[in-house]
Amino acid sequence: MTGTGTETGIPGITALPLQESLLPESLDISFKVVPAVLVLGMLALFLAIGFVFRVADTEDMWVAGRSIGNVENGMAIGANWMSAASYLGMAASIALAGFYGLVFVVGWTTGYFILLIFLAAQLRRFGKYTAPDFVGDRFNSDSARAIAAVTTFLIGFVYAIGQAKGMALVGLYVFGDFGFLLPGLDGYQVMVIFMMAITVGYLTLSGMLGATKNQAVQYTILIVAFLVGLFVVGYTNGYSTVLPQLEYGMLIDDLGSEFSEPFVTSSYYLWIATTFSLIVGTCGLPHVLVRFYTVESERTARWSTVWGLFFICLLYWSAPAFAAFGTDLYTTNVRPTYGDPGMASAASEVIVVLAAQLSNLPEWFVGIVAAGGIAAAIATVAGLFIAGSSAISHDIYTNIINEDATQRQQILVGRLSIVALGVLTTLAALDPASSIAALVGYAFALAGSVLFPMFFIGMWWENANRQGALAGMTTGLVLWSIPMINEIVPTYVSSLEAPLSAGLAQWMPAIGSALITLPIVFAVTIIVSLVTDDPPAETKRIVRQCHSPEPMGQQQTAEDVVADGGESQTPADD
Amino acid sequence: MRDNNTQDSDDELETDGGVAGGHGQAHRDTDYLNQEVNLLKPSTPFMRDHLRVVWTGFVIWVVAVFGPVTLTYLATDAMTTQMPVLGFPWHYFLVAFGAPTSALLLSVWYSRKRDALDEKYGIDHTTPEGTEHGGATAADGGVDE
Repeated sequence: MTGTGTETGIPGITALPLQESLLPESLDISFKVVPAVLVLGMLALFLAIGFVFRVADTEDMWVAGRSIGNVENGMAIGANWMSAASYLGMAASIALAGFYGLVFVVGWTTGYFILLIFLAAQLRRFGKYTAPDFVGDRFNSDSARAIAAVTTFLIGFVYAIGQAKGMALVGLYVFGDFGFLLPGLDGYQVMVIFMMAITVGYLTLSGMLGATKNQAVQYTILIVAFLVGLFVVGYTNGYSTVLPQLEYGMLIDDLGSEFSEPFVTSSYYLWIATTFSLIVGTCGLPHVLVRFYTVESERTARWSTVWGLFFICLLYWSAPAFAAFGTDLYTTNVRPTYGDPGMASAASEVIVVLAAQLSNLPEWFVGIVAAGGIAAAIATVAGLFIAGSSAISHDIYTNIINEDATQRQQILVGRLSIVALGVLTTLAALDPASSIAALVGYAFALAGSVLFPMFFIGMWWENANRQGALAGMTTGLVLWSIPMINEIVPTYVSSLEAPLSAGLAQWMPAIGSALITLPIVFAVTIIVSLVTDDPPAETKRIVRQCHSPEPMGQQQTAEDVVADGGESQTPADD
Repeated sequence: MRDNNTQDSDDELETDGGVAGGHGQAHRDTDYLNQEVNLLKPSTPFMRDHLRVVWTGFVIWVVAVFGPVTLTYLATDAMTTQMPVLGFPWHYFLVAFGAPTSALLLSVWYSRKRDALDEKYGIDHTTPEGTEHGGATAADGGVDE
């Protein structure tokens, strides 16, 4: 380790010269008519789809009537998943952090296999509405439900900061610098507010159904924009012809050893810790888990995971190629990417857009690439905010505070919490502490520390009980906060320097903390469950039903089957 | 497990009559709601078969995901040599391309295996709301407690 970056947010990458403003240098920031029309047209399309599929009842709002099929759900998984961190942040990390940047490629794809073999079909059989629903019902505890709901909310918040940053950076290219509009704010900050307002507006109009329909459209836009951008940049610069995903290999030698040499900017340990954390985070993210409640059957849950992973791989095979092209273009046209001063982090965050711009491609074309980035961010924020708001409205409000809540009240609370999340995210994104990918990584560490252990143990060991879950989740939350306080909080306090403890940052980095927290949370949950009473027989039967290979009705949950006592399996006709 | 066939399972045998072989029989004789779920101690024939697939996939996955980077750490010089044709350093290719692709191929493999298991045990997902087949679950679920 050569140090801990505050600006890049990736431990091991020494901070580049601090920029007062987040305006990315060498990006052509000005109002551009055709790209602006493209982006606004795209946003109008999302709103129209959201409006057409707007919802009035909660079943539709949270799980889309459990009617989504294989490919559509796969696309939704892909769109939900591929955020500004995938579209922008990953290429940025690969360009700046070299071999270490590949942790995002590995961590954000391979986790789906774990999700598939251990959780996907079982989750469909469990068949509730939200991730906290599982925790609350499985462990028979409203406290556990509340902790899970708060965690879900927190994940949505931390994760969305990175998205807001990505949208704003790309928005600068398209709409220009409106820093004069609001006193005290610069162009980047005005753009954060503008983009978040649009996202929240569309989300409050439509719920999960609109969001799912939208996500298939958003996936198409983002993957086409990214791939076409990559092919054209590769072709026009003579880097590649038909398979840039493999052809960029020839370029690696010319990019400087910083691009590919292993363990220069980060240790082997950090590499493993980050990858592990991203993998278990993948399997614990509420907005990912909830996608399995929305499908028609458990077989669809499995195959849509395969489709989702394929759709995700299309982008993840391509991002390193984009990073390689961008790095070379930057070195040729601006200045050497590595060394002093090197590429500034704000520039690296838009390297995908920058690569298209530096290739002298027409403005409308760069606009398409930029629009893809915005689509990616909006789709993910949609998924996150739906998960976060359902945690508040369904899990805390309806299940704990007001059990007689009408549908109208629930939806109102849901919409209000989307607005609240939007405001919080906007404020935090005005001066983000880290890079897009790192911000998202913190959310993964949280999901991997608190939610994944509960889902995994809860689903695969019927004797896990309430006390175990409460102890485990509390441990997870506390342990996750330690490196966050060590590394991230000081960046918001001017008198402190991050990290507070370099040793802690080395062995328990904020971005990879789940490697340490997960085994501890597992142990605590299991030990506490063993020394306390077994869970009720009813709960055990629900767990067993989640693993039974018997097909279930489309609208059924494991709880229904068990509670029916076997009298009938007629699905509710709602 | 065969030791459960004391329950009144007559009607299930009729409704599922088409399934041949001992596995389908074992499936119909299993009362899934009364078999413990424990990742390390599978209690039904189906779960034993399923977990064999799961653990096989998991081990390959661990090797594919963490193997290349560990090898790179242990044998840096060998792993950073250039690949023929593609020009990548080996470690870069195995991590950036190999790991995600392995996860995708493993996922296809697992899903096909799981479908084959369903077939082996005579489980049909095409009629998730079917009443007859569902009746078997219900009959099982109703036994004791």
